[in-house]
Amino acid sequence: MKKVLAIVLALVMVFGLAACGNGGGNTTPQNNTADDKPLAGTYKIKVWAAENNQDLTKKQIDDFNKTNDMGIVIEATVEPVSEADAGTNMITDIEAGPDIYWFAQDQFARLVNAGALDKLGTGASKTVAEANDPGVVAAGSINGQLWAYPATSDNGYFMYYDKSVVPEADVKSLEKIIADCEAAKKYFAFEAQTSAWYLASWFFGTGCKSEWEMDNDGKYTGVKDDFNSANGLIAAKGMYKLVSSPFHLSSSKGAEFESGAAVVVTGMWDYDVVQKILGDNMGVAELPSFEVDGKQYHLGSFNGCKLVGVKPQTDPKKGAALHQLAQYLTDYDRQMERFNTLSWGPANLKAQSDDKVKANPGLATLFAQNAYSQPQGQIHGSWWDIGKVIADDVKASGGTEEGLKKALQNYQDKIDALFAMSEEEKNAWTVIGAVAGSNWDKDFEMKKEGENVWKSVDKFDLKAGDEFKCRQGKNWDVSIGNGGDNYKVEADGTYTIVLTLSGDSGTITLEK
Amino acid sequence: MSKKNDYDPSEIQKRMGMKAKNRISNTVIYVVLVIMSIVWLIPFFCIVFQSFRVESTWMAGYVFPQKWGFDNYINLAKTDFWKWYTNTFIIAVVVAALQTVIVLCMSYTLSRFRFKIRKGLMKFMLVLGLFPGMLTMIILYRVLKDLGMTQANAVPGLILVYIASSGMGYYVSKGFFDTVPKTLDEAARIDGATRAQVLWKIILPMAKPIVIYTILTAFMGPWGDFVFARYISMNTSAGMNVAVGLQSWLSLDQINNRYTMFCAGGVVVAIPVTILFLCLQKYYVEGVTGGAVKG
Repeated sequence: MKKVLAIVLALVMVFGLAACGNGGGNTTPQNNTADDKPLAGTYKIKVWAAENNQDLTKKQIDDFNKTNDMGIVIEATVEPVSEADAGTNMITDIEAGPDIYWFAQDQFARLVNAGALDKLGTGASKTVAEANDPGVVAAGSINGQLWAYPATSDNGYFMYYDKSVVPEADVKSLEKIIADCEAAKKYFAFEAQTSAWYLASWFFGTGCKSEWEMDNDGKYTGVKDDFNSANGLIAAKGMYKLVSSPFHLSSSKGAEFESGAAVVVTGMWDYDVVQKILGDNMGVAELPSFEVDGKQYHLGSFNGCKLVGVKPQTDPKKGAALHQLAQYLTDYDRQMERFNTLSWGPANLKAQSDDKVKANPGLATLFAQNAYSQPQGQIHGSWWDIGKVIADDVKASGGTEEGLKKALQNYQDKIDALFAMSEEEKNAWTVIGAVAGSNWDKDFEMKKEGENVWKSVDKFDLKAGDEFKCRQGKNWDVSIGNGGDNYKVEADGTYTIVLTLSGDSGTITLEK
Repeated sequence: MSKKNDYDPSEIQKRMGMKAKNRISNTVIYVVLVIMSIVWLIPFFCIVFQSFRVESTWMAGYVFPQKWGFDNYINLAKTDFWKWYTNTFIIAVVVAALQTVIVLCMSYTLSRFRFKIRKGLMKFMLVLGLFPGMLTMIILYRVLKDLGMTQANAVPGLILVYIASSGMGYYVSKGFFDTVPKTLDEAARIDGATRAQVLWKIILPMAKPIVIYTILTAFMGPWGDFVFARYISMNTSAGMNVAVGLQSWLSLDQINNRYTMFCAGGVVVAIPVTILFLCLQKYYVEGVTGGAVKG
């Protein structure tokens, strides 16, 4: 498997670069020998794209067949599967899944974990990363390596409002909007109580962060989350203003305008619906600001995106051809075509600065809101369930400082529990250092061999001058090297690392 | 009631009291029933009304359409809906036929034949039947996938899934067959009928309600199934049944354009089942209670 993967990656890399060359105006006449077109052939593939994107995707694949000069012919069946469901469906049975598929970036980590994505070659990765919005690129990358192709950058939310209820002058202030809604007995729809995706808006607005750390294999290793902080408390106070209003509605459906809403926070996918319902009264705006203790805080948001993924293939030739197609489907022209037919906001930087894209009121607002947004990076799957409870707790708190603090503490406890280590893990020793190709970023397991003796599970090829330490509980509170310094290897060889403890200190020895 | 009592004023008063009491309890019962039927019918009427709404296609906050029309029904033809409908119909009809034959043969065998492991077999099937069918989902999927009966070929795969364990649903019809006197069999056997002839010519004509009940339940199972159909078709439109197909219209990117069509589809799905029930209702009630009636 590894070999196959290596070949695929090598091919992708080579052809990724070759494609750049061609794109750059290389017009040398091509010979029709097999060596020149190593990817030539007919490939039967399956593609998942959202229902409204289905016909366009078919057309774009046809265009690819007509225009590519590599002799690739793709025979594709395009099945309608929404980007939001693609991840779950894909993981059910990867083998039966599609070769190329669209997905929303929140499923990225799961797909990588499940082995459902084939990463881009280094060359292609660089080209694609440079051409697209850094936020989207981050959403499809792990530690700088792209695993999927950025396709859109419009999975974010902003505010739609009814101009006949909320005057344009009021849209910047949450308090004024709530007052307008209450006066008109109309609802302010903001899906705070059932969706962490919307709820996070308040915390991002006060500068809180929830950043998840992942190792190179796509496993979560930790989180930097400060929702339970002084800033988080401000956010909770602001949130209480809205959720305690009798005219707050926890919903994000554009159609709520038909059932008594005057404001709905949702995204581009509801644009047509809202426009049909409100007509000239439709207003779009960035999310408003709220005031706590005399200071204004502009509500933040998540900005998300859609990505195109390629499934790992057993046939390296097919894999390389698929990458060619995926890259084609997400290049500048295709993203523009999608904007023109479906109004999907492009991720491509050049397309984003296109005048026509800028003139779309929904996208313009979304991009303006992006200044206050956090790119939706990799987020632990449990977070969505843990996070959404905050608003209910905030509402139940009655707005008292104590109650709000309790709500945040409740959240924090659940987050902490995700990474809680067992007593055994806390006491276990590991090796960390510039060993076995790692650079102080990976813990190698050790096994307890006697009362005070720990031995590394693996043997290490060590060079003279390599440095490492042993540490306890995978943190730096207790670590042993050569005393407090790093342990330095004196002679080349393959060693088992042995740690002998004596009280608070210990000594490291190498066993051949 | 004796004549004398008719003139007894106190007795008349008592009877009046009874009548009034009856009237009150009847009123209460009817009020409860009316409320219950309203509760049951509201969702149905909502779907019917929504399916005729043509002024918008998303989920609206009101029940009665502002503009009525058949657009949603006509538009169904522009989608894969009829493909799904045909799939479901084929599956349901084939399953209804095969499952009925299997169940009736099974019941007849267990009711009339005496063989060594009969009791053991019945107990075994009872225990087996206690396990929820969902337990087998993953292994069934693997097996069907290896047989090439998933995704676009989900129809034969699903037929196989539905009829595979149908022999275990013999309880009701065996109960009914047990009530048919054995002497009838014996008389036919003496006249030279084979075992099969006894079943087809003697027992089955008497067991019409049970046969119809079996057909109905066998048809209804696959007609409304979602779980198995969903994962065996694995997002391949060509292999979906109508429930799975319609559900796919409820995703975020489609619901705004498809909600009223979804309702129209729901109504169309309900039609054959409704007709079937209206025609066979009489037998159905007899069938459900059939096992308990002495023949």
